[in-house]
Amino acid sequence: MPETNLTSNLHLLLPEFLLATLAFAVFAIDLLLPANRKKLLAWVSVAGLIGLLALALALLWGENEEMYGGLIKVDSYALFFKSFFILLGIFIILSSVDYVGKHLSHPGEYYGLILFSVLAMNVMAASREILTAYVALELMSFSFYIMVSYARYNPRSNEAGIKYVLIGAFSSAILLFGISMLYSTIGVTHFADISATLANAGDASPALWVGLALILVGLGFKVAAVPFHMWAPDVYQGAPLPVTAYLAVGSKAAAFALMLRLFAEAFMPSIDDWQIIVAIIAAITMTVGNLVAIAQHNIKRLLAYSSIGQVGFLLVGIAALSETSPLASNGVMLHIVGYSFTNLAVFVGIIAFFNMTGKEEIADFSGLADRHPFLAAAMAIGMFSLAGLPFFAGFTTKFYLFTAAANEGLLWLAGLAIVNSLISLYYYQVEIRHMYIQPAPDMEGKLEPASAHNPHPPPVGGGAEDASRHSPTPLIIGVLILMVLGTFFVGVYPFPIVEALDAATSAILPGAGS
Amino acid sequence: MGGGLDRPSMDLAELAWLIPSLSFVAFFLIVLFGRFLPGQGAFVAILAIAAGFAMFWVVLGGFLGAECPDSFGQKTCTFNREWFTAGSVVLSWGIIIDPLTVVMLGLVTLVALMVQVYSLGYMHGESRFGWYFAVHALFVASMLALVLADNFLLLYVVWELVGVCSYLLIGFWYERRSAAEAAKKAFITTRIGDVGLLLGILLLFKEVGTFDMSTTFAAVSAGEIGEGTLTAAALLLFLGAMGKSAQFPFHVWLPDAMEGPTPVSALIHAATMVVAGVYLVARAFPIFEAAPDALIVVAAIGLITALMGATMALVVTDLKRILAYSTISHLGLMMLSLGAFGYTAAIFHHLAHGFSKALLFLGAGSVMHSMNNETDINKMGGLRRVMPITTLTFTVGALSLAGIPIFAGFWSKDEVLLAVLDHKNYLLAFALIAAFLSAMYMARALYVVFYGELKAENNHVHESPWVMLAPMAVLAVLAVIFGFVAIRITEAGGIGTFLFFNYPHGFEFNTGLGVGSIILAVGAFVLGWYIYMARRISLGPWKVRFAAAIRVVGNKYYLDDLYQWGVDRVVMAFSRFVALFDRVVINDKAVNGPGESVRRSGLNLRYHVTGRMYNYAMGMAVGAVAIAILWWVLTTST
Repeated sequence: MPETNLTSNLHLLLPEFLLATLAFAVFAIDLLLPANRKKLLAWVSVAGLIGLLALALALLWGENEEMYGGLIKVDSYALFFKSFFILLGIFIILSSVDYVGKHLSHPGEYYGLILFSVLAMNVMAASREILTAYVALELMSFSFYIMVSYARYNPRSNEAGIKYVLIGAFSSAILLFGISMLYSTIGVTHFADISATLANAGDASPALWVGLALILVGLGFKVAAVPFHMWAPDVYQGAPLPVTAYLAVGSKAAAFALMLRLFAEAFMPSIDDWQIIVAIIAAITMTVGNLVAIAQHNIKRLLAYSSIGQVGFLLVGIAALSETSPLASNGVMLHIVGYSFTNLAVFVGIIAFFNMTGKEEIADFSGLADRHPFLAAAMAIGMFSLAGLPFFAGFTTKFYLFTAAANEGLLWLAGLAIVNSLISLYYYQVEIRHMYIQPAPDMEGKLEPASAHNPHPPPVGGGAEDASRHSPTPLIIGVLILMVLGTFFVGVYPFPIVEALDAATSAILPGAGS
Repeated sequence: MGGGLDRPSMDLAELAWLIPSLSFVAFFLIVLFGRFLPGQGAFVAILAIAAGFAMFWVVLGGFLGAECPDSFGQKTCTFNREWFTAGSVVLSWGIIIDPLTVVMLGLVTLVALMVQVYSLGYMHGESRFGWYFAVHALFVASMLALVLADNFLLLYVVWELVGVCSYLLIGFWYERRSAAEAAKKAFITTRIGDVGLLLGILLLFKEVGTFDMSTTFAAVSAGEIGEGTLTAAALLLFLGAMGKSAQFPFHVWLPDAMEGPTPVSALIHAATMVVAGVYLVARAFPIFEAAPDALIVVAAIGLITALMGATMALVVTDLKRILAYSTISHLGLMMLSLGAFGYTAAIFHHLAHGFSKALLFLGAGSVMHSMNNETDINKMGGLRRVMPITTLTFTVGALSLAGIPIFAGFWSKDEVLLAVLDHKNYLLAFALIAAFLSAMYMARALYVVFYGELKAENNHVHESPWVMLAPMAVLAVLAVIFGFVAIRITEAGGIGTFLFFNYPHGFEFNTGLGVGSIILAVGAFVLGWYIYMARRISLGPWKVRFAAAIRVVGNKYYLDDLYQWGVDRVVMAFSRFVALFDRVVINDKAVNGPGESVRRSGLNLRYHVTGRMYNYAMGMAVGAVAIAILWWVLTTST
């Protein structure tokens, strides 16, 4: 790659530059706004992101160029994830607005951090060099470390933040160690070079395999694969709800975006060595996640374990990657998309419920269907989709993943995954039973008189916001409707998305064009 | 197929998918927002189907102008989109548009539109008014999707939807036990046939490897499937058709379905439910054609059904049941026609019968509406004095169904008889008997209800509102003029050159047969006049002489009792045994056992998340070491 090319196509990074600018702008505007106008920050962020999405699509459509001598590649895979992450950022911000107003302080930094994490995710999906990917990964992690502990006066949130940082540092150390072992043995860090070296590394030193194993561990932590998952329930439970949602969807999607490119572009030649290991991790991950989810009482912990189970399904797709078939790669990405809609439908429902009641135990949802039928219906739809019932996103996406696994000869894994889907249906149904069948715990009778002389009033929330305590705000309902529609869309007619995925897959696996 | 859109040119015909979609959307709109809309949202359903009817003309025009390949001699357009592909399994959603689909679209949208408008008056004041129209919309949408489906999987899905909707509408007044029972009976009886349909579809899938109809039919006509398999598949498909189209011995649900609101009966009998079976056989005709043995079964079942229905229609005294048995009889004739290669005749008769029967049911509903839901024909009589328009339209419908010349039913019945004469001439005598009986019971209903002396207690009876009469008038006009499409609609010739299987044929009129059937039909009316009006012929001695036969027919050939006995004794005994087995072995041991152990392992496993950081870090470290070792072992061992 000639030196002159290093900066000749910098304009292709315009969306990233502008995103960073937007984040700083939000920080700056925050300083100027009076305390009661902070909602404006959310609108600025959303408007900026929408503009960026349009810009990215207009500017980068069909581009396929390397930048900085191959550190970053702007291709259809990167564009797909860029659009996905920007949309995700928009939805997270929209579903945060009410929550932030009620339960959190310093909204400026909150929205700014979301923007930074979106930036980091975009770079993660675009990096083709392992250290660049690592740096992006760290930028995302730092944003999350802060956001997780954002409820400053909530001890659980603080605990979650501390745990996340410490374990995160531990895993970063492992990841970096793995990267350095890789570099020490083969002396390259570009994905393409790694791939070329691995292709004829039949007698490579054990240090290489240790290095790869450690990288797998580091990434396993980020996606909460078993046995590197134990932070997840604590952190999910402690973090503010929208952050939990973002963590469950965004950080996982980004880590998989990185992982998919890494495994497809760099590690593909030695798939025979790692396929079985990833498959075993996938099997353990989904089994542990789904089994332990059964025993949970807190909705956030339940979803933490359920998302661990979903990671197991995604790892099935990684294990089933193939140089000749786009099925597994498409499956992973489609599952990420479907899972995001679905999980957000559930989480946004919980956020709306929490905004009204301040509660998050599973039993608190009893009788929700009578009081807020739409909320209950949306959450039920999300959970049916998570369980993988037909017509919902979860069915279609899992169908892709499991078919890919079966085609690659991992029949036992596909079978186990189906059993796991069955198990997951149980604990989702417990929640649905609470919402639809269990009688309400006498909400009307208790809440009203209690609030008059309540010794422990709900965290914030003044007179003006009383209305939103009894019914979800139109904004939340709007986001919820979008998520439900998305869930059905992916489930019933995924064809347009699959077309985009085919393009993305052919960028990382040129031999797998459909 | 494959690779998305298969679009020969931008065809208006492709817009046909909009027709069912509109009504589907109407269903959801009414269910979700109906209570906020005026009239509980009924107008949404009517607008949707009216738009669908308008779209039908666009589609018809588009289809006539489209350039599509021929299949079995007919222009056949298919449009499909890949739904999803995973490995070798390609599922697609698509529509097929050929003359059969086009005429069905026209029939269904028109009749449904008329029935819905009529329902505005008939169902006025009903508390679940909105729900009625919502299910109505869903019913119609499913039926429209059924005639458009280009693959058996989609067909099966909407086939079941049709069944569900009929269940909901027949049991619309579910507070009445008889209505709830009738709904159940209809659903379960047709379900038995549906099992056959599903098996047939799966058998074809196993042979051809696709659900796509065109591919399947191509494989069939290329002789890729053995004749034995083909006959089995055809018979299984026919089983589904027998259930839906109320063929012997599954016909028992249809008369009971009269428990639903009368406009629903009109819809079921003319445009949706029972039509589905005839449509299915016509649609899958390439399969039946290649399996002549199956066609003989179709013809035989059709004939038995036709005779059985006609005889029962002659003895019952419930106006709606007369019409129901008449439908059964005519469905039998259509099946007979299909069995005798009378593809065009069957569909033609189906259309003519559809318009006439919808008209008759709306007329019956009009009578009931004015007479406090009275359905016993012996309590009616002379209604022409108080309900002139209803009388006029009902008479048109009855004459058409009876096969009196110039009315639609005459032409179509003639085509059916001609087909029987050509291909199954040994059945012609029976077909003529059915035709005669058909005219006979129509004469009876007509004379007893509308002519003769008006009973004193019926003096208060008045004509129905215009919103009910207008649809009847439209249908009456059709029942008069529709038959002329047999002769000529374009310069190309009659319906036989538009809708045919393999070979177009112009209008044929077998003089002997035509004259014979006219004599039979007119004779039946004359005989009816002497019996029911002039009372010159007394039925008394006949009733004594044939007491046993009449009792058998009046008791519906004891089939209902036989089924009831079978359900009570055989099925229930078996069910009790299965239930016991299920409770003790399956549930306690096989389901709760593993379920409980899964739950336990979950409860125990959760303790591995201790909340202590060093445990977490330890877990990761152990995991890392384990992976490294595993990896090393695996790579060095290979």
